[in-house]
Amino acid sequence: MSALRPWAGVALLLLPVLIWVLSLAANYDVIADVDVSRASLAPSVDHWLGCDHLGRDVLWRLITASESFVGPSLFACVVALVIGVPAGALSGWLGGLPASLTRFGLTTVASLPRFVLVLLVCAAFGNSVQLIALAAGVAYAPTLAEAIYARIQSFRHRGFVLAGQAHGLRSGRILWLHLLWVNHRRLILRHCVQLFAYFLLLETTLSYIGGLDGAGSFGVAQPDPSWGNMIAFEWREPQANIWATLAPGLATALVLLGATWTGRSLIEEQA
Amino acid sequence: MSVHLRSLRILAGKRALVSQVSLHILPGQITVLVGASGSGKTLTARSLLGLVHGIEPGIVAADLEIQDGEVIHRPYAAVDRERAFVPVRGPLIAWLPQNPRAALDPLQAVGAQIRDCLKLSGQNTGLDVAPEPWLERVSLAKSVGRLYPHQLSGGMAQRVGIALALARGSRFLIVDEPTTGLDPSLRAGILEELKRARDSGVGLLLITHDLRLVRQLGDHLLVMDRGCIVEDRPAQDLSAMQSAQAQALWQATLRLEARQ
Repeated sequence: MSALRPWAGVALLLLPVLIWVLSLAANYDVIADVDVSRASLAPSVDHWLGCDHLGRDVLWRLITASESFVGPSLFACVVALVIGVPAGALSGWLGGLPASLTRFGLTTVASLPRFVLVLLVCAAFGNSVQLIALAAGVAYAPTLAEAIYARIQSFRHRGFVLAGQAHGLRSGRILWLHLLWVNHRRLILRHCVQLFAYFLLLETTLSYIGGLDGAGSFGVAQPDPSWGNMIAFEWREPQANIWATLAPGLATALVLLGATWTGRSLIEEQA
Repeated sequence: MSVHLRSLRILAGKRALVSQVSLHILPGQITVLVGASGSGKTLTARSLLGLVHGIEPGIVAADLEIQDGEVIHRPYAAVDRERAFVPVRGPLIAWLPQNPRAALDPLQAVGAQIRDCLKLSGQNTGLDVAPEPWLERVSLAKSVGRLYPHQLSGGMAQRVGIALALARGSRFLIVDEPTTGLDPSLRAGILEELKRARDSGVGLLLITHDLRLVRQLGDHLLVMDRGCIVEDRPAQDLSAMQSAQAQALWQATLRLEARQ
């Protein structure tokens, strides 16, 4: 079982990405698909997960909701990589005052709770998923940078770095190829997986809160589907089709589980 | 072509770790640098490559002269030392560090590292960047190329280190305690390898505690003690050594041999 866990993790993690591609390809109009005559319909052959209390197909909303987090969370990963990798690598490699200054900046950002930071950005600049993704990426970058910094710092005076220099390898090649690519890619990938999961949780949480207050002031607002607002939209309905709340909740849990398993399998034993 | 290091001084704060060290490496010769632990052997070797960092504040003063016919290269005299050492590290001088396993990239297969070295040396453009011949040259199986450093035994790692240094195709080779912790047959194999390198015209600087190596393959002997050179002589007649420290080391070696 434990041998299968990494593969199960990757499969669970790739599932939303596949669904996202499917959703983009199908381009199904979930907003127009309202039919009150099938309100709270139980699962059937026509509607595999039934319908919600407005008579909207739950499966299609579940699929389309992937658009509200997969793309943005990949964007968040890119933002975190673009900031975190050079900052961590260069400060770990160069040391001295530039490193101290960079790390001071990073720790300042890291000292704000991420969730609060994201809420602040939403409050100040408006509430779009792309903006949330940008904020999440920026908020996560210090964690990535610190992890890379700590390892580069400890690798910098190792024998093989010195030996590489003695063989005439340029510093740039040692840093980017031997240190970052060969020795840090798993670490970086693990942080990306973690950020992916973090963003899913963040978007679901915000959309859930936004869905509860009805005004849609946080996250993705109805009628656009998100796993968070799907739960918020249905769970207080007396005659609800239970799959309309259960399915997005289960989907969220499974993807997070996949991310945890994948992340764990990427932790390498310390050399 | 020859390497001359004169009046090397390495300071840590006000304390001199190495002072007034001079040595010469000539092509086709093995210069042996002997000394107790902490006598500054490794620092001296690293100063030949300009790699003496990690010592604070690490002040290095030296006159390093690499002579190639009429051309004389003096990296320590250059304004930008880092840049001046670029042609030295690798093409001219290669370094085989003390702990060869630590000197290998822990997450890259051995074969790939040798291939990188060959690409770097540029002597095998195109077809011939296969690591196998180099592994065979140090009596390792071809399949070793697929292994990672943590899968190698100490002796294998040592030989991979030598293969890397040979693949780099440098004119001079600094070998830091190559036989530490090896059994006699492996030791003999590695010494054989070093002799072969010498006979092909490579100049070697061999660092060791073991005076017996000097008898076996040394051309010139230097003995270091507390950062200074105390003995500088041809390696032929070791019993005629002048300094007390060198004599003590030699007597200890003789006692050890007598006991064995």
